[in-house]
Amino acid sequence: MSTWTRVLGIESSCDETAVAILACRGNEVRRVKDLVTSQVPIHQKYGGVVPEVAARSHVPETVSLLTQALGRRGLGSFDVIAVTQGPGLPIALRVGIEAARVLALLSGKPLIGVNHLEGHVASAWLDPANRRKFVFPLLALVVSGGHTELVIMKDFGDYRLIGETQDDAAGEAFDKTAKLMGLPYPGGPQIAKLALAGDPNAIPLPRPMLHDGTFNMSFSGLKTAVRLAWEAGQATGIKKEDVAASIQQAIVEVLVHKTIAAARHARVASVALVGGVSANTVLRETLGARLRDELPHVGYLPSDRKSITDNAAMIAAAGYWQYQNGTRHDWKKMEARPEWPLGVR
Amino acid sequence: MKQTFLVRDVDGWDAVAARILEILRPGDVLLLSGPLGAGKTTFTQALARALGGVLRPRSPTFALVRAYPVKGPRRITRLVHIDAYRLETPEEAHALGLEDELLTPGTVLAIEWPEKIALPAQFSKTPFRLTITPMDPSGRVAELTVPD
Repeated sequence: MSTWTRVLGIESSCDETAVAILACRGNEVRRVKDLVTSQVPIHQKYGGVVPEVAARSHVPETVSLLTQALGRRGLGSFDVIAVTQGPGLPIALRVGIEAARVLALLSGKPLIGVNHLEGHVASAWLDPANRRKFVFPLLALVVSGGHTELVIMKDFGDYRLIGETQDDAAGEAFDKTAKLMGLPYPGGPQIAKLALAGDPNAIPLPRPMLHDGTFNMSFSGLKTAVRLAWEAGQATGIKKEDVAASIQQAIVEVLVHKTIAAARHARVASVALVGGVSANTVLRETLGARLRDELPHVGYLPSDRKSITDNAAMIAAAGYWQYQNGTRHDWKKMEARPEWPLGVR
Repeated sequence: MKQTFLVRDVDGWDAVAARILEILRPGDVLLLSGPLGAGKTTFTQALARALGGVLRPRSPTFALVRAYPVKGPRRITRLVHIDAYRLETPEEAHALGLEDELLTPGTVLAIEWPEKIALPAQFSKTPFRLTITPMDPSGRVAELTVPD
């Protein structure tokens, strides 16, 4: 039996700062540490409110989370370092990368730059039930505030983008249409909550590109459609529950339709649903039900609920895959890759 | 100099992009204003196309900054698309690293929601501005300011 490999994951590609340590052996995974900024009382440590500028620059969070994750064993608490190298905001990516480079220099341990989207795919693998049926080819729908992508995975580390949004991400469509209705941020959960009491067919909203034969999507037209329906509805006493349910229905229908079409086209063995919007219950259930009905032999792997939003456990998991594949990066040369498409080396 | 365009559909943005392209140079900054759904990103897609870009710009709202290689006139080689929509305080402009972006030769910047942040004078005094007003039931009025 091989020994456990402890992978330190560092994520700072956008808003969240996260550090995790996973212990992996074959298909077994233990979460040794799994820390995200919001879980740590940074304000106490730094004596006062952290200005937003500093919060977005990630520096104090990264130092604090690393101190906490490494603990007394320090550099002896991990065997491999995995860091998000891109895509993301350059100024934010550099914080995690510089920390990882210093740790690689001091510890002499291997360093691996991970694609953030591969990390999201790996978040499905973090669920033990999913790991047992993680079979290739696998189709992943990565759907969040910043991403809406359909990715074919032929093996660990082998990806091909086959479809994506042409404008707004699905999570952004939830947030912005919620804003147009005067709902507080973030809009996704607000829409989902209101939709429970609404009629999803009350308001006709566009489903662009639904039958265009590609696996691409478009959500930016929803903003104007919702604004017009909302404004016109003020006179007629439109119910916000109905608008919310109609918005959710329009977004979910496009995502599910395109995912099923792509799964059928690529003859995949399993379908994973990952990213922040995978928390949406109607999306999770609708995709699961449609797969059961239409492609009963295809396995369904919805994301691990513990690792849905940006986190470092998923970066460590993808880092473990890459480590097993033999990937190693030189700490002396590692730079941020803000526009790194998944599938490009 | 001000010029007003009536944009009836997606293709209508091409005329606005073509007008800007006549005078745009590396280092120039274009400020894009208008409410949610006005067409700021759709316009930027037209601009990228006009600049000979192959990649289609997606909404930069979540990523904050996205860069695209282009093959424009006057050695414009890079379009950086920026969105301040999610920023909460004016000082957060620092988080965007705008000055760094302009250090890459051949770069032009298009900035959405500039009014939400405190831009350094180098950016806020730009002579390039596009203000978009939606009309009902569809179509937009786009008011373009360019240097004389």
